[in-house]
Amino acid sequence: MAAPAATKIILEQEGIFIHSNATRSEDHESLISGLLRVMQKDGEIMVEYKPLEDAVDPSSMLCAGKDTSSVVEWTQCPGDRPHRPVEPQQSYETEWDMINTVSFKKRPYANGEGVSNHVHERTKWAFFFNLGELKSIKVKTEGWSYLVFCLKDDIPLPAFHFHQGGSDAFLDCLRRYVLLSESPGDESTLMVCSHSKALSQSFENLLDDTTFGLVQKFKKDPYTTTLGGFSKVTNYIFDAFRGQDMEHQQRPAEEVADLLNEVIPGLEINQQEEPGFEVITRIDLGRRPDVERREPVSAEDWAKHVDSEGRVQSVPHLKKIIFKGGLCHALRKEAWKFLLGYFPWDSTRDERKNLQKRKTDEYFRMKLQWKSVSEEQEKRNSRLRDYRSLIEKDVNRTDRTNTFYEGPDNPGLILLHDILMTYCMYDFDLGYVQGMSDLLSPILYVMENEVDAFWCFVSFMDQMHQNFEEQMQGMKTQLIQLSTLLRLLDLVFWNYLESQDSGYLYFCFRWLLIRFKRELTFHDVLRLWEVMWTGLPCQNFHLLVCCAILDSEKQKIMEEHYGFNEILKHINELSMKLDIEEILHKAEAICMQIKSCKDLPNSVSEILGFNAETELPRLEVSELEMFEPPQPSRPAHRQECVAGLISNDSIFNSGKLPKPNAGCCLPQREQCAAPRPSKPKPVRRNGTTFRGASHRPEPKRGDV
Amino acid sequence: MASKSSLLKVILLGDGGVGKSSLMNRYVTNKFDTHLIHTIGVEFLNKDLEVDGHLVTMQIWDTAGQERFRSLRTPFYRGSDCCLLTFSVDDNQSFLNLANWKKEFIYYADVKEPENFPFVVLGNKLDVTERQVSKEDAQQWCRENGNHPYFETSAKDATNVAAAFEEAVRRVLATEDRADHLIPTDTVNLHRKPRSSTTCC
Ligand SMILES: Nc1nc2c(ncn2[C@@H]2O[C@H](COP(=O)(O)OP(=O)(O)OP(=O)(O)O)[C@@H](O)[C@H]2O)c(=O)[nH]1
Ligand SMILES: [Mg+2]
Repeated sequence: MAAPAATKIILEQEGIFIHSNATRSEDHESLISGLLRVMQKDGEIMVEYKPLEDAVDPSSMLCAGKDTSSVVEWTQCPGDRPHRPVEPQQSYETEWDMINTVSFKKRPYANGEGVSNHVHERTKWAFFFNLGELKSIKVKTEGWSYLVFCLKDDIPLPAFHFHQGGSDAFLDCLRRYVLLSESPGDESTLMVCSHSKALSQSFENLLDDTTFGLVQKFKKDPYTTTLGGFSKVTNYIFDAFRGQDMEHQQRPAEEVADLLNEVIPGLEINQQEEPGFEVITRIDLGRRPDVERREPVSAEDWAKHVDSEGRVQSVPHLKKIIFKGGLCHALRKEAWKFLLGYFPWDSTRDERKNLQKRKTDEYFRMKLQWKSVSEEQEKRNSRLRDYRSLIEKDVNRTDRTNTFYEGPDNPGLILLHDILMTYCMYDFDLGYVQGMSDLLSPILYVMENEVDAFWCFVSFMDQMHQNFEEQMQGMKTQLIQLSTLLRLLDLVFWNYLESQDSGYLYFCFRWLLIRFKRELTFHDVLRLWEVMWTGLPCQNFHLLVCCAILDSEKQKIMEEHYGFNEILKHINELSMKLDIEEILHKAEAICMQIKSCKDLPNSVSEILGFNAETELPRLEVSELEMFEPPQPSRPAHRQECVAGLISNDSIFNSGKLPKPNAGCCLPQREQCAAPRPSKPKPVRRNGTTFRGASHRPEPKRGDV
Repeated sequence: MASKSSLLKVILLGDGGVGKSSLMNRYVTNKFDTHLIHTIGVEFLNKDLEVDGHLVTMQIWDTAGQERFRSLRTPFYRGSDCCLLTFSVDDNQSFLNLANWKKEFIYYADVKEPENFPFVVLGNKLDVTERQVSKEDAQQWCRENGNHPYFETSAKDATNVAAAFEEAVRRVLATEDRADHLIPTDTVNLHRKPRSSTTCC
């Protein structure tokens, strides 16, 4: 299915429409749907359009508004499907429309081949051109975006309507090869310049613009004086500048700063091999610090923290060393009960004995409830029947290669079954949902005791409950949060995923649902979980674990140019091939990296709990120093210089503009349900006019 | 170019535990694992095969059967060329649910002409002794619901598994009587005359 060797498809977007009627008609019949591709052929970049289908199915006009972020779509009420031809049936209404809302018309053919059965009937609409021939692009919005290409010989092409979003991704893709700069007379037109020349010119203009406050600040700072010597800039920074908004050059300094603030929480300036070139290679958070992990906490370490009556002392420190190295296996049975909150840290041994007694009674009371349901009764209780049948099926399929659960009629299986059934009595509304047996199995394995395992499981489920609820709200939230983090950490990679319809990170579903239970070996799961249960070094650390894994895979994914299916397959196949220590290392480093950034988008701080600092013991306190050499100061200082430039400057904190909460991360979704707003309306924001502002986030707080 | 095979997307649907993953694994890897863990999310495997002289790559999608995960699996229905409705002959409820699975598929896959869409029905776990669904009942259901081909399979013993998947391919090929399904996309003019085909109106 591969394209001929010399041709490489760089970007492919389906669901791009030509309105074949000259008049603007609501008539869908006049729409032609097609495939827009950017390809590399013999060293040249080509843009190609191919119509795909004879008739346009109006349901494909779902207008997902993916231009900015498909992820935001999840917050949409699933009923928002204006063109759905069939009335949604009752039972389907509440679905979480995770992927349908983005353009999912794509047939799963590698490189899209095999889909164009009807090309011949539509060939008159097919065309391609060499990117070198492109003169300008008009960018318009009409509820969705559309682009009009104009070639150098002034041949205008029909407008391409991105009903399903993706115009930003498309333009971003072009920006890798040409510079698109706004036409001085007409902001909606992007002029095309060939890359290398235009890029450096443009950046120098940026530097020379005396009204450009940010750059002035850069220039004043001795650290960044080298910026003046720029003669080459990689496109990353432009991607980010311009991906956010084309108009920054015409704007007052505060606004530019505000924009940059969102986009660039830190700039990294690297010395490249070529002498004389100081190149901004990426926009990121500064150097990722080195972190060290330590040995698992030993029984001896633990004993040092327990007083004569059994109270656990210096809990923050203890948590820290657990975070740093996990627990040796023998300790788990005891320590997990504290980590999970079944035992209070400050309880005495006697108090715990009493607690266990009470909890044992309570457990068996609930167990008796389902045990004493007669067959006759159960016939009239369909929910209990369903729970039981699911549990029976799943218990038989959970960790059966582990010695604790292996073989027929293993007592471990009976315990798994009974605890899950009792949990149904404990929380009948939730009952049993697949995945829960995965969460129980390691706990039972460690506890080797039905009652303790049950209560520890209850605690763990308190954290995981939302993942399993009817609407799977927990899953939605986490995927959105993960996407926010990923965009901050690696906009280029996230853009790539988005270009493959994968920006909503569906492939992380299993990771999140059962906290990597299926991705790691059984013993690595134990390690990861105890580390996570410390609540260190930040809230939602498991999302940074996702980021760490993705960080290790991104190169392969992008280099091999994986598409939607391949990404899913690749991620699924990582299962059991991951190295837990490496991942924890990286995830912690990412956390420190983000934490040291002085001007995080608010959304990120909220996800990681940096706003509620007091709730979590800080990792930097002196206690840890005995295990951790102090960080090398130079890079840290450097980060601060750069970050400080952006954050601590009066312009940025002048209060003139509210800082958009979502930062670079979650632009407000485009209005997609509204059929056709008459014109791109100028949006006034604090006295400044934004045109085509549909892809700008509104300055709104706390709406992630 | 002539040997280029076409890609068919086939999706396995049915209640949790009826053996969808086991059927897929049996067919693609010829293995059976009694304790295969239940599916979370979606997975797929590819299998190359030749049916009646046509080279085909079958992309088999396996989903999680539990109701709760519907929102995760349904987006992957689109673009399917064939749907394998699966139940287990020792589980009457899974048989009764076939109609719901079919409905869900048609709705989310956005099937234009459900009457002509190729479904194949699989009654799995043929090897078990305590049947709850008789062959006759299953056949009758298939007859009354669109004349779907019916196979009784055992992923465990490998009975009828390959036959069922091959039938799926045949059905797809038959439905797509437009032979062009097998003709690779023609992008030739693109490369042949650079730059002149910018005509559009
Ligand atoms: N006897 C017998 N058992 C089978 C057969 N096929 C599957 N099983 C068993 O039935 C159970 C469920 O099989 P799976 O393949 O996991 O079922 P599934 O449909 O994929 O289930 P979900 O992933 O939960 O939707 C497993 O324990 C299998 O070993 C079969 O042909 N005969
Ligand atoms: Mg399965």
